Amino acid sequence: MTDMTPRERVLKLFAKEPIDTMPCFSGQGMVTVPAIDSVGIPFSQIHLTAENMAESAIKSMEMFDFDAAVVPYDMCTIPEAFGLGVSIYENAEGILFPTIPKKWSLPDEVVIPEDYLERARMPVVDGALKLLKEKIGTTHAIGTWILGPFTLAGQLVELDVLMKMAYKEKAKVEALLDKIVDLTIDLGRHYREIGADFVSLREMGTGADLISPRMFKKMIQPRLRKIFDAWDSPKILHICGSTDLIIELMNDCGAEVISVDHKNTLSESRSKIGKDILLFGDYDGFNLPSKASVEEIQEAIKKCIDAGVDAVWPGCDIWPDVKSENMQAINNAIKEFGRVSTPAVGRL
Amino acid sequence: MGKEELREELLKQLHEGVVEFEEDQVKEASQKVIDEGLNVYDAVMNGLAAGMQEVGELYDQHEYFVPELLMAADALYVGLDILRPHIKLEDLGDKPKGQVVIGTVQGDVHDIGKNIIKMMFDVAGFTVHDLGRDVPLEKFVEEQLNTDSEIVALSAMMTTTMMGMEKVIKMIKEKNPDVAIMLGGAPVTSDTADLFGADGYAESAGNAVQEAIKMISRLREMQKK
Repeated sequence: MTDMTPRERVLKLFAKEPIDTMPCFSGQGMVTVPAIDSVGIPFSQIHLTAENMAESAIKSMEMFDFDAAVVPYDMCTIPEAFGLGVSIYENAEGILFPTIPKKWSLPDEVVIPEDYLERARMPVVDGALKLLKEKIGTTHAIGTWILGPFTLAGQLVELDVLMKMAYKEKAKVEALLDKIVDLTIDLGRHYREIGADFVSLREMGTGADLISPRMFKKMIQPRLRKIFDAWDSPKILHICGSTDLIIELMNDCGAEVISVDHKNTLSESRSKIGKDILLFGDYDGFNLPSKASVEEIQEAIKKCIDAGVDAVWPGCDIWPDVKSENMQAINNAIKEFGRVSTPAVGRL
Repeated sequence: MGKEELREELLKQLHEGVVEFEEDQVKEASQKVIDEGLNVYDAVMNGLAAGMQEVGELYDQHEYFVPELLMAADALYVGLDILRPHIKLEDLGDKPKGQVVIGTVQGDVHDIGKNIIKMMFDVAGFTVHDLGRDVPLEKFVEEQLNTDSEIVALSAMMTTTMMGMEKVIKMIKEKNPDVAIMLGGAPVTSDTADLFGADGYAESAGNAVQEAIKMISRLREMQKK
């Protein structure tokens, strides 16, 4: 191993420059229960203050040798700032992520407050990113994510209503998506300005197990392209679920990284999109960290690399209640098997 | 038009109306089934449900996707709401029908999959107790005990909420070991269902009802012993 810092490793990977080995990180939530237990913060509290969010991210990163820390952990920060409220499940037993209790009935009812960045927990996320920058910004990469326009729209209006209206009253849905696109462009830039090294766009409501490739092409792709045209590198597009049918469309959105989950047939995707684009995926963020044996972990990680990914990362949020030995085994395997060149990135 | 010819025509209209999301067509045909005194259960099963079966096939063939499923389901419910009050008990035949408690577990506000499964239970003649979404775990236990339902069907859309299912299964089985529990939802696999101690796993909506009928049959056989 060279003396490359984790941050350099991640940034060079995004720039497709040679690295020593594959970094261990994610474009989505990767907070872990062993880490938050060790600092004594209950799960429901890690979402509520910048200090708790940053501390839980750093501890998770340090405990398992991740190359990056990622915040936030839940999908409600933006809808909550729009005034929809949030259920935190403060007294529930176990791990429950925040949810939005009530949504708007129709897309044209959605109101985006001009000062949404100042509302609810938006300042918490900003504060956490700033703390991460201050505490680990020279050594480790800092990541965040934003829901893609259709997925975020599904957090604002009931998804079934949205999906049916996408057929029957397309103009109303598209008007909402366009508002969200503008917001996403600005928010992505804002997160980069205050310290994020990368912003992952998670458009998981648009996989081919939900909407048709035709709808993706007509309604989603042009909007993703607009966002990526406006953002600086690295440009990461993540879609989980069924992506085999839309992988070429994903590759034509202007992203520099395509990220998928374990339902994707990686080797086929790699041959469809070519060797030049970064492909990330796609270990199972529940079974591998919580249930698998070390042998199964090594086999799964090796399989991802053999199938042609440039970074092995989870296909969704890591289920927080990891077994420590599993999480460490995953990252050890990534570092060990990741010493060989990948399709888009060489090795030192 | 003879009675059999009329029956065939109305079944076709119901079937097509579901597949093409034509709610008005379904409404008209359903009303005509009642007005003409035709077998209502036949209209539900061989008209509406047959249409939904084709929709399921189109979904499997990647010709239809979730928006199409939802629009077809809306059309089906238009017909079901008209026809169901007129179904006679004897029409249901000797197939085991029962009661099912259904809901998405606490922390999960996604209910599209749950609603589609609920629709299949409705069509198949089950009495469905729908708890909705984001349901506190103990509510499943209470509702099962209150209704004496044979089946509890749990749905989770996200990995992050799937773990709640394991707890519900334990809680229900402690109170009533004979209840059959089925799981479904995007992150759930048959391995997870086994691991959590569930009795059935539904990969798709159609499969859910077949599984449910099998489970009820098994339960009734057990009760006879």
